[in-house]
Amino acid sequence: MKSLDPRVNRLPVPGTPGKITPKIPLDQFGSYEVFVQPKEGKPFQHEGIVHAPNLEMAFVLAKEAFTRRFTCVSLYVTDTRDVFVSPLTDADKNAYDMISDEGVKGNDSYEIYHLAKRGKQHVHAGVVTAGSPEEAMWKARQTLNTKQVFNIWAVKTSNIRKTGEGETILWDTLPEKKFRDAADYKGGDKLKEFLERNKS
Amino acid sequence: MNDQALKELLYKLADDLLILGHRNSEWTGMGPLLEEDIAFSSMAQDKIGQSHALFQLLHQLGEQQPDLVAFTRNANQFHNAVLVELPNGEYDFSLVRHFLFDMADSLRWQMLTNSSYEPLAQLAKKIQGELRYHTLHANTWIKQLGNATEESITRLQGSLSKLMPYALGMFEESPMEAALINDGIFKGEQALQAIWKSKVEEVLSATQLAVPDWKILVPVYGGRRGQHSEHLQPMLDEMSEVFRIDPTTEW
Amino acid sequence: MYGGGNTFEGIKTDSVAQEDPQKLAAFEARIARGEKIEPTDWMPQLYRKQLIRMIEQHAHSEIIGALPEGTWITRAPGFKRKMSLMAKVQDEVGHGQLLYSAAETLGKSREEMIDDLISGKSKYSNIFNYPTFTWADCCFISWLVDAGAIVNQLANAKGSYGPYCRALDRICAEESFHLKYGHHCVIYLAAGSPKQRAMFQEALNRWWPPMMHFFGPSDKISVHTEVLMKWKVKMGTNDDMRNQFLDMYVPKILELGFTIPDPKLKKNPDTGRWDYTEPDWDEFKRVINGDGPCNKERLEVRRIAEERGKWVREALKTSKTAYVTPLA
Repeated sequence: MKSLDPRVNRLPVPGTPGKITPKIPLDQFGSYEVFVQPKEGKPFQHEGIVHAPNLEMAFVLAKEAFTRRFTCVSLYVTDTRDVFVSPLTDADKNAYDMISDEGVKGNDSYEIYHLAKRGKQHVHAGVVTAGSPEEAMWKARQTLNTKQVFNIWAVKTSNIRKTGEGETILWDTLPEKKFRDAADYKGGDKLKEFLERNKS
Repeated sequence: MNDQALKELLYKLADDLLILGHRNSEWTGMGPLLEEDIAFSSMAQDKIGQSHALFQLLHQLGEQQPDLVAFTRNANQFHNAVLVELPNGEYDFSLVRHFLFDMADSLRWQMLTNSSYEPLAQLAKKIQGELRYHTLHANTWIKQLGNATEESITRLQGSLSKLMPYALGMFEESPMEAALINDGIFKGEQALQAIWKSKVEEVLSATQLAVPDWKILVPVYGGRRGQHSEHLQPMLDEMSEVFRIDPTTEW
Repeated sequence: MYGGGNTFEGIKTDSVAQEDPQKLAAFEARIARGEKIEPTDWMPQLYRKQLIRMIEQHAHSEIIGALPEGTWITRAPGFKRKMSLMAKVQDEVGHGQLLYSAAETLGKSREEMIDDLISGKSKYSNIFNYPTFTWADCCFISWLVDAGAIVNQLANAKGSYGPYCRALDRICAEESFHLKYGHHCVIYLAAGSPKQRAMFQEALNRWWPPMMHFFGPSDKISVHTEVLMKWKVKMGTNDDMRNQFLDMYVPKILELGFTIPDPKLKKNPDTGRWDYTEPDWDEFKRVINGDGPCNKERLEVRRIAEERGKWVREALKTSKTAYVTPLA
């Protein structure tokens, strides 16, 4: 391949050009849900997913996929399969009204997320202790049900890969990475000088 | 403080980071998984950024502007280890180099947090978080691929044997090493190499990869003195292709 | 960035006749109330299919769009440009990642989407099939192609599908850096040496026709497109988008003293819209169907990347037994 891109000219050509080997199932791995805390004191919110082979790798990959731009003080990930999801409601129906009494027997910790508006992110609402995700939803209905929500998520805290104690430094230089910030590209002076020069 | 020795130290740090950052950026848009493509690019950007910060320190010490220094020198004026200029190869090669280099790099900067040259110590403290990510990323990948399939283990092992002599070349001592150590600027390559070896062994022993027999390895030296492989000059020509159209203009 | 001018033809499920009228009414009422649709909601087949197609094409455009600018990633002049371009191309890959995830919530796996991209079954923005001969071509893309993309993306961010809107909100926030960076690069070329100015003028001459193609041909307004507009899948006509782009950027290009290679280009005071030489839609179709200057290379590079990465992915094969769609 003769390319304008010197990198392409250096590429080895594995397989046969133009011949496609269809991907096997899970070639792109499973998915992990990514939650980010934008500032100290602010709640975590859902930001999206990464595809990764396991929880630890998901954390490593989510760090750059979701926290290289904008502010971040902490990050965590969990397997999509470990998120328990309530029914989804619309109009003036509260999702908590769809949660039935499960009683509460166990005392594992669960993170509860609310969808306050369709189209927005799920935001962390609090932690409850319960024996199952169903119980956790019921417990949340009693303690966190303060205003209408459209959807509730419950994640067992022990299924989460959190930011470790020594890892909060990972975002130390983030505010200084000005080259990723629109505000660092002020061309106004250069433009003015150019226009002045052209006038004369 | 021995200015000459200090400058030489800054140059080799800056050149290592510039050249490897450049090499690693070649993977952008061509990585093995979208998420990894992004992560690898970020680390390349960190390296170029750190390199730039070092060239600014050099500028404060009387050297030319960072852009001129980085984009107009010839290969024999570069102080980087040969390790970082080698072409990327396949992903195992790039990952193993990332692991070997970033381990040394992070340990070096840890030492430099205590440097008697205050601006360098400040920079070292500032970038600890970036380095923490680089080693987290490298160690995680090596541990996982080093325990996975026959193919991944064979590939990593092959790259380790190819790269290890070059990696040892990172620790080539400066003729002014004693001055750096006596002035408290840097604890020296020997001290660094010793910790590096034990850390590399620690990670490798958690995998099915063989720990190298250090005694029989012959380091590839020369990079620190401007003696490079045939790969560096073409890389520099490419890097400065646009800049050299007119080095006096602003781009 | 994003390929504009989605064409919505060729999908078999183009009727809503087979849908449950009650469910359909509730679905349409929700959109009319201004509420977004979320993945577990009931939705008409046509809605699902068109969205998958649109989001998938958008994702492919990001991944392939990383290549023409990537052509200059090893040659960006100076530290500042080098880091900016690396970050910008990286963002395009990141946008692809976000968009594939949004499309996945509708039930198509990333594996299938990448396969369809490489086999040519699924399209991406036509403009990335053109070559970047010089640094100035790269600057043209960073500034003006991204500007065009933002026009599309801001419109689509007001659409009805929650995961796509969330992805676009994030993407638009990131794009503001791209646009500023691109404009900054071009200002420096304009204000630089005669050689630099000439470089950009030549790039502009080369890229203007594909830029006019970028938003797609005039829409034929059919019942079909009306439904898609009612469902907030299609958020404006291709001509509207093109006009908006010309409104915003023609003055900025002229301000820098460059000439746009279309003698007919001017704003019509009577209609308030732009007159221009009709773009060559035959060429557009030819390039979309694979016969552009770089189609083969773009897909081949993507194929090679997937092929070279295969051993890595196989080695770390997931412990999961079945594919699960992402949540949001």
